[in-house]
Amino acid sequence: MDLARQAQAGDESAFAEIVRRYSPRVFRVASRFFRQRSLVEEAAQEVFLKAYTQLGSFEGRGSIEGWLTRIATNTCLNMLRSAKRRPEFTVSDLSDDEQNWLEQQSGTDGSKQPSVENSVVATDLADRVLSVLSPEDQQALLMIDGEDASIKEVAEATGWSESKVKVRAFRARRKVREAMEKLLGRGSK
Amino acid sequence: MNKHITEILDNTSLANLSENELTEIHAHVVDCASCGKAYDAARMSAAVLKSRTQAVIEPSPFFQTRVMAALREQQAAESVPAMLRLWRSAKAVVATMAVTTAALAVVSFVAPAESTPATDQTTSVYSAYSVIMDQPADEQMTYEQVLSTIYEDDDEAR
Repeated sequence: MDLARQAQAGDESAFAEIVRRYSPRVFRVASRFFRQRSLVEEAAQEVFLKAYTQLGSFEGRGSIEGWLTRIATNTCLNMLRSAKRRPEFTVSDLSDDEQNWLEQQSGTDGSKQPSVENSVVATDLADRVLSVLSPEDQQALLMIDGEDASIKEVAEATGWSESKVKVRAFRARRKVREAMEKLLGRGSK
Repeated sequence: MNKHITEILDNTSLANLSENELTEIHAHVVDCASCGKAYDAARMSAAVLKSRTQAVIEPSPFFQTRVMAALREQQAAESVPAMLRLWRSAKAVVATMAVTTAALAVVSFVAPAESTPATDQTTSVYSAYSVIMDQPADEQMTYEQVLSTIYEDDDEAR
C-alpha cells in the first residue's frame, strides 16, 4: 500500500519498484494468452503503462497484485480481441511426438511431471484444442483447470460474476473435450 | 449407473471430482464406449491444460528499465504544450477557413469591380439622361442652330 501511495504522489522510484516486484505475476497472466516472448513483453509493458495512468483509481481496498492482475487480464483479452483472427482448430493428423505423448498419458493418471520436450508437445496440443474457444473461455478454463484457481478467484481477476465464470468454464471444458476426442479419433486411425 | 457421465466431466475440473463422482465414472465407462472416449479426452485435456499453464515466460532483467523508459517517453509526449497540440489538431480546420475567407474576398471585391464598367455602359446607352446629355460634342446643336432650323422649316411651309 505504501508503494502505491508513493507512486500516486509522483515518486517514480516507487513505481519502478512496483514494476520490479509484480512483473513476474503480470508475465504469468500474459503467458496464459501468448506463447511468444515478444507478445508477452508487449502486453506486460502495456499493463504497467495503464497501471501508471490509473494509479489514481487504486483505492487500496484490495492488493496491488490483484489490481494489476485484473488490468493484465483485461489488457490481454483486448489484445486478443483486436487481433484480426485467431488460428482455427484443425483436426489434422497428429505428429509422432503428439501421438507418443498421448499414448504415454493414457497409461498414467496425469499427475506425472512431463519432461521439457514433452511439455512443448503438450503445450502445442493445448493450443490446438484451445483454439476452439473464445479468449474469455480460454481464460476461464486455463485458470480453473490449469492453475486450480477457484471460481471466485477467476471472478475477481476478470470482473465477471461467479455464475458467468461457471457457465464459461462448463462450456469451455465441453468444447475442449470434444476437440480432444476428435484428435484422439484421428490419432487412433 | 446407466446415466451418461459427460455432464459430470464438463461440470468441474477432473482434479475437483469427488470420490463418489469418480466411482460413478469408472463404473459407467466399463460398459459405455462413448463415455469411455469422453473420459479419456477429458483426462488428456486436463493434462495439456496443466502443461500449457506451466509454460510461463519470465521477465527479462531489462524489463523494468524498458517500462520506465516507455513511461518517460509517454510523459514527454504528454508534456507538449496544450496550445501546440490544439493547433496541430485544428490546423486543417483553420487552413480550410482561411481558404474559404480568401475565396469570399475575391468574390466580394474583385469580381464586382470588373463587372461595374459593363453596367455603366448599359446605363449610358439606354438611359434618357445619357441619350440627351452624353452625345458627342460635335454632334450637338447650339441654341441658335435649333432656332434657325425651326424658322427655316416655317419658311418652307409658307
